[in-house]
Amino acid sequence: MERPVFQPVGTPVEELDTPALVVDLEVMSQNIETLHSYFRQAEAKIRPHVSCHQCPNIARLQMAAGGTAGGIAVTTVGEAEVFSNAGFDDILVANEVVTPPKIRRLCALARLNRITVAVDNPQNVAVLSKIAGDAQVTLNVLVDIDAGFGCCGVAPTGDARELARAVHSSPGLDFQGLMSYEGPLLYQNRSELEDETRRRLQLVLDTRQLIEAEGIAVSTVSVGSTSNYDIAGQMSGITEIQAGSYPLMDHNYCRYKTEFTPAAKILASVVSHSVEARAVVDSGHKTTGPDLGVPFLEGVAGATATRFSAEHGILELEPEAFTRLKSNEKVWLVPFDLALCVNQYDYIRAVRRGKLEGFWPVAARGRWD
Amino acid sequence: MNQWYRPQVGTPIAELDTPCLILDMDALDHNMGIMADFYEGKSSKLRGHGKNHKSPALAHRQIRRGGTVGGVCAAKVSEAEVMVQSGIPNVLVTSEIVAPLKINRLCSLAQQAQILVACEDSNNAERLSQSAIAQGVNLGVVIEQETGLVRCGVQSIDQGVALAKTIHSLPGLTFRGVMSHQMMAEPSSNREDRVTEGRRIIQDVIDLKDAITAAGIPVEIVSTGETWSYDVAGEIPGVTEIQGGTYLLMETSYDYMSEFQFAGKVLTTIISVPRPGVAVGDAGLKAVGAMKGMPAVDGQPGVVAESMDANHVVFRLDDGVRLNLGDQVTLIPGQQDAMVSRWDRFVGLRDGKVEAVWDIEARGCHN
Repeated sequence: MERPVFQPVGTPVEELDTPALVVDLEVMSQNIETLHSYFRQAEAKIRPHVSCHQCPNIARLQMAAGGTAGGIAVTTVGEAEVFSNAGFDDILVANEVVTPPKIRRLCALARLNRITVAVDNPQNVAVLSKIAGDAQVTLNVLVDIDAGFGCCGVAPTGDARELARAVHSSPGLDFQGLMSYEGPLLYQNRSELEDETRRRLQLVLDTRQLIEAEGIAVSTVSVGSTSNYDIAGQMSGITEIQAGSYPLMDHNYCRYKTEFTPAAKILASVVSHSVEARAVVDSGHKTTGPDLGVPFLEGVAGATATRFSAEHGILELEPEAFTRLKSNEKVWLVPFDLALCVNQYDYIRAVRRGKLEGFWPVAARGRWD
Repeated sequence: MNQWYRPQVGTPIAELDTPCLILDMDALDHNMGIMADFYEGKSSKLRGHGKNHKSPALAHRQIRRGGTVGGVCAAKVSEAEVMVQSGIPNVLVTSEIVAPLKINRLCSLAQQAQILVACEDSNNAERLSQSAIAQGVNLGVVIEQETGLVRCGVQSIDQGVALAKTIHSLPGLTFRGVMSHQMMAEPSSNREDRVTEGRRIIQDVIDLKDAITAAGIPVEIVSTGETWSYDVAGEIPGVTEIQGGTYLLMETSYDYMSEFQFAGKVLTTIISVPRPGVAVGDAGLKAVGAMKGMPAVDGQPGVVAESMDANHVVFRLDDGVRLNLGDQVTLIPGQQDAMVSRWDRFVGLRDGKVEAVWDIEARGCHN
């Protein structure tokens, strides 16, 4: 477990021990307001996907900002347990849960909460139904549709309709509707993003029509992400958007979604500057999660983060930065992918106006189960 | 901390909840045995790197098995704290420690165990000295030399000798020796290549040792080498210890070191079979990582890990290969230390059953 020095509230951020995952609370609040103000006006609602940050305190701020569907989305049963313990009582496990021990845990959660789970397979539907029946609970179910991402999900239209019928007729299960993760749609060009979002989500909406034509009510269609929330949110028939990156953002998403600002950054220290053109910081793979891309070094003219090893980050320096980065100097790294970065930490250092406000547990970290 | 999953000893593998970080205990013991046998009777010894497993249970088992200096390496002060608290008597912190807060913690540790720390800079040496005096301890210091990683360390023999003189003269510090770390430019299974490359790189740190000795300062420790050069560095006169870490759990990028077996793996369960030829497992980038590419699939021909998102791995299946919901697939990581650092415990398996569950107590010890 992370063993930080729990420095006192009010500590200036630059005095925090490093490496540290720091969240600027004002920037985060602005990001939350930007997205939630949209949903306060829209017919569709936001269901915050909290797997990106795993932090109940942040989820609470999201729920308080309004415009929500009344609950959150998670990826695993373990995460659902953590957020249930933290008081969240409407949880969508936006993923398939197939093994009986995990399904029994899901049913135990359903005694306390409104639990919804995704399915893409008729055998799984039968097992869910059996175990929910034995446990005498009702699981809400969404049929998961592959609208082009190519991971989980049943094919749109015919196959999805068959599965919806199976859920609808299964005791212990309550068919609620459809969900899809249509993929991280990252386009600089707004019209391309609109076209691709509409093309993929139309498959889901067509499926909705087919199912309704069977006389089966579809009350929920849960799709979308931070990249296309305001496009998906305008499509008639879509009821909720599962966005998760927007409170904290990351370097990758910020290149495409300019209405948001990175709120989560890693504070690192220079630990070596043995040659002029290179400085080494105390933050590497294990504290930045660079599997999908290298973190971005912010705010040091003439310095670029180029290479990361397990424990170190290497900064290449132009002459203007040769003397700037002295030993123990602090630098800011913006993670490339938020979820993979937060995944490495047990605590978020919550900071307001440059001062520490608290250590916020990343309570669901490591709950892949 | 993830306190959820701690399976009973004796649980069969088929009943393990997933994703699960598993240890093949036979492979683990085999890997420890290779090192113990190799260093038996040699003047050089292994100093296992704690950053790879972050688990005191493994560190103690490694030391008990033999061939070691009786201590470990740690990359971070907090990692060293976990090792010392568990009773490891001797820890080399292989990173430069520059923040005053961390230097304080390091000196506090030196009251409880023999602590060595890497250094590349005379200002840093002075701060270490001041703090050691203030806390009434003595810190052992080794000079890190840069030998091809293009990262930390002194850049020349002259720099190294000057720094050794400074450290030698500072109260509160004891100059103990030199260290270096290196990668092989082009990994090779050919032992001759490893010998040639290993000797070439390690000669730099031997040269530095000789120059410091010639300046009248005794050099007790030459700490260098790693998994790929354990048998090269271990036979170079003057090398006293080898910093091996990857050998213990192994990873696909070290598969050319074929005497070691893959011991650290991730067990995943198929949760979706959405299309013919495709299956999806419940372990993704968060649990496995992909710093050195996709993980390999262990012992299931015709099943290839094609892509991962945060929580899923997508397998491509050859014609005729079928996976069903609930089937287990075992993944071998491309880089084990960046994978282990995401997990809270190892589940040790022998003969298909749980033999031991070990906490990875130094997971998340970034500071």
